This record gives sequence, structure tokens and C-alpha cells, in this order.
Amino acid sequence: MDNPTALVRLLQLTSPSLPVGGFTYSQGLEWAVEAGWVGDEASLAGWLRELLLEQLARVDLPLLERLYQAAARADRAAFDHWNHELIACRESAELRAEERARGRAMALLVLELIPTAAAWREPLRASQLGGFALAAAHWQIPLPELLTGYAWSWLENLVLAGVKLVPLGQSAGQRLLLRLGGELPRAVAEAQALPDEEIGASAPAAAIASALHEGQYTRLFRS
Amino acid sequence: MIAPLATPRGWCAELRLGFAPRAGATRLVERRQRGPLVVQRPFLPGDGSCHCYLLHPPGGVVGGDELTIEVDAAPASAVLLTTPGATKFYRSAGAWARVTQRLSVAAGASLEWLPQENILFPGAQLQMGTTLALAEGARFIGWEILCAGRPAAQEQFTQGQAQIGLRIERAGRVLLRERLRLDATLLAAATGLRGHPASATLVVTPADPAALALARAALGPTPAEVAAATLVDGLLLVRWLGQDAEAARRCLLPVWEALRPAIIGLPALRPRIWST
Repeated sequence: MDNPTALVRLLQLTSPSLPVGGFTYSQGLEWAVEAGWVGDEASLAGWLRELLLEQLARVDLPLLERLYQAAARADRAAFDHWNHELIACRESAELRAEERARGRAMALLVLELIPTAAAWREPLRASQLGGFALAAAHWQIPLPELLTGYAWSWLENLVLAGVKLVPLGQSAGQRLLLRLGGELPRAVAEAQALPDEEIGASAPAAAIASALHEGQYTRLFRS
Repeated sequence: MIAPLATPRGWCAELRLGFAPRAGATRLVERRQRGPLVVQRPFLPGDGSCHCYLLHPPGGVVGGDELTIEVDAAPASAVLLTTPGATKFYRSAGAWARVTQRLSVAAGASLEWLPQENILFPGAQLQMGTTLALAEGARFIGWEILCAGRPAAQEQFTQGQAQIGLRIERAGRVLLRERLRLDATLLAAATGLRGHPASATLVVTPADPAALALARAALGPTPAEVAAATLVDGLLLVRWLGQDAEAARRCLLPVWEALRPAIIGLPALRPRIWST
């Protein structure tokens, strides 16, 4: 990174202390644990690895790149377009509610930290990814590092959710982060090579788990 | 939504169907066809709707073949489309079979898209893209059922792949964008098909929480299979994983029957062709 403060900004943006409530979402993992689909360190690793290489590499990361470029060009039409495509890729009511709720929290934060973003208030509220992209463009965080940082914060949230739900020990969580963290460069490279028309994914059992979580009786997580 | 790939051989088949109300009933008013993709004479069940049966190439589809189906339901028309039999996609030496479906439903019109299953033989290579273009006020119930391999004949889908895209738009705004990349890995994957050879998706719109409750009640407990309903921006989605197409229909037909009166405004009467 040429800009010495870019790394610091990226660390702030991807920190678990970012007040968007990342730790309150499991994206269907809570139901998968209750159903016995995920029950130990190995099955948790498999579940998250599949989502990383399918959902993250083929939806979140390529769309983050496009939202970032739209924000950097101040191209509001392109920003809105990719925001709509992002929500359309979210496969359940809870996953859409999560993206939007995190988006509203992220918008408050971005407008507080970056006053010049005020004109983008409405589109910022549409998704978390959009706020992330706009802040990163403003702070000139380079793309591959941005995508890696976003994927890392996603992974950290879900590993922590899994450690709590399965449950697993803290060192199991760190082993998972080490192992799955090693897959991030591949996910980022695949995302950056994906043409527009191939954006999109489908993980049927994960989508079903998320839809069944909507009716789960006892829940710790909001998704 | 699917990138063009070389199709070194194979035939092209196109079918374009237009439906509109005429003298108290919906009729097939436009039919353009090329190649071995045809439609039987429509059946008018007497409730104002038009039932129409698509016949896919009788010998099945091989790599290099291209099928295009376009359906246009004009304002105030009521159309039900189905197929008398499954569509088979055979083993390919390398070329892709391509299927493009575009379903357009005008304001005040309804379309029911209830084809029999697509069967992927081991080694098949299929690119399939379906676009559902809905006007504001258009009504739709539809499903796609996909069977990978032929487990009854001890033929697992260990080779081959299918890329299945689904895009749903209402008044030009995208509501759903999905891209399933089915191969042996996804079939076995914990977040994929979890070892189930068959999968299905039912789409119902416009849907509200009452429609979601009806769908969930109709689904009931599904112990031998996995199914769930969710409501996203007026779109009700039911996803199902199981053993075969018969089981998919056993699960989804009660949902169709529960929702048809509210969504389409017609009683739940199964098309005659399904019972023959």
C-alpha cells in the first residue's frame, strides 16, 4: 500500500469493534448446528470453506469491487445498480434483513466519519457492503487488500459464532482462522477474475438453513 | 446471463409463444417455432385460462444443442404451461447444451410454469438460464425440478456439470439473482445438495406473510427430505432437496394447491395431463 494510512483505515473498517453488530449474525449456522449438520471443528471448517469459495468469492467480493469502483468514480447509477443486484443475491428473508440492518448501522457511521458522504445517505442505507465500499474508496484502500480485509472480518465473525454455537474451545477457533485464512487469497483471486454475468451463487442447503432459522424457537443470533 | 460458449454441432430449437384473452378465454395467439421444440394444441379448461403443453425433443438433448423458449402472457391472460414428460440431457463429449428461457408476464396476467423435471445424465454439460420478467401487478407460480444422475439405474452424477441461472425482475428491478453450479462437488457439499440427487425451487409472487404461512402449513414436516419457505421482497421461495422428482412433486404440489386460489384466482385443479 502506497498510502501509509490506508492500512490503518482498513484495520479500523474490519475490526470487530466496528458498531454494525457483526457478532449478532450467524447466516443460518445456528440452525445448521441445531440440526446436527455442523457439530465439530471439521464440519464447521467445511461449512465455512464452502461459503467462502461460493458466496464470498462469487457474490460479496466481486460486488464489493464494483461498488468500490462506482463510489470512487462517484457514479451513483452504477452504485445503485450493484446494490440492487447484491440484495437480489441474498437467498432468504433473514439474509436480506441482515444486509439492510447492517447497512443502516454502517450508514450512520460513515456519515459521522466522512461528512462529504451526506449526498449518498439513501444508497448507503441499502446495504452494509455499500458503506464498506464507499468508506474504502474515500480512504483510498487498495482493492485486493480491501477484499481480503472484508473476507477476513466475515470469516472472523462466523468462526466466533461457530465456536459459541458448537461449542468449541478458543484454540479450535484460532486453528480454524489459521486454516481458512489461508484460503482467502484464492477467494479474492477468483472474485477479481469473475466477469459481471457470472456473478451469483447458490448454496441450496445453506439457503434452507437460513430460511428454517427464521422459525427456530430458541435463538442467540439474528440470522 | 450465461457467457456464450462454442457449440460445435447440434441443432437449434426455438419456440416463442404469445397468449392473450379472446372472447372470454385466454388463447395462444402467436406461435413461432423452429426445430424440434413444439407445443400441443392448447386445452381450455373452461375457467378462462389456457393450458398448454410443451414437447421437448423426444430423443433428449445432447451437447451442442441449443433451446430457446420465450413465453409472453399479455394483459389479463391466464396461462398454465407444463410438459408431458421429463427433459433428458445426455452425456456430452465436451460441448455444452444451452437452454435459454424467457418468461414475460404483463400487468393483470398470470403465468403458471410447472414443467416436469430436467434429468442430467452422468457426464451431461448444461448451461441453462431462465429470466422471469414481471410487470407490476403480474402474477406467477412456477417451479424447476432438477435430477442429477439416475440413482434408480445406479448412475451417479460423478462427471459433468450444469450452470443454472435464475433471474427474476419486476418492473425492470431485479428481485432474485441465483447461479447454481452443479457438479459432483456441490452435490456432496454440506451447504450444497448434501448428497441429495434431486433439487427443486418453487417461486410464487406477489406473496405476503399470509401466503408464506399457507406455504409453511402445506409443507408440514418433511423428515425424509429438506425443504423451507422464505419471503423476500414479495417473492415466496420454496427450496427443496430430496431423492427424486416424484418426491419433489409430492412436496410442492400441496403448496401450489394451497396458494393457487389466492395468487392466480383459480381453484386448485391439477392439469389433466399429469394423471395420464
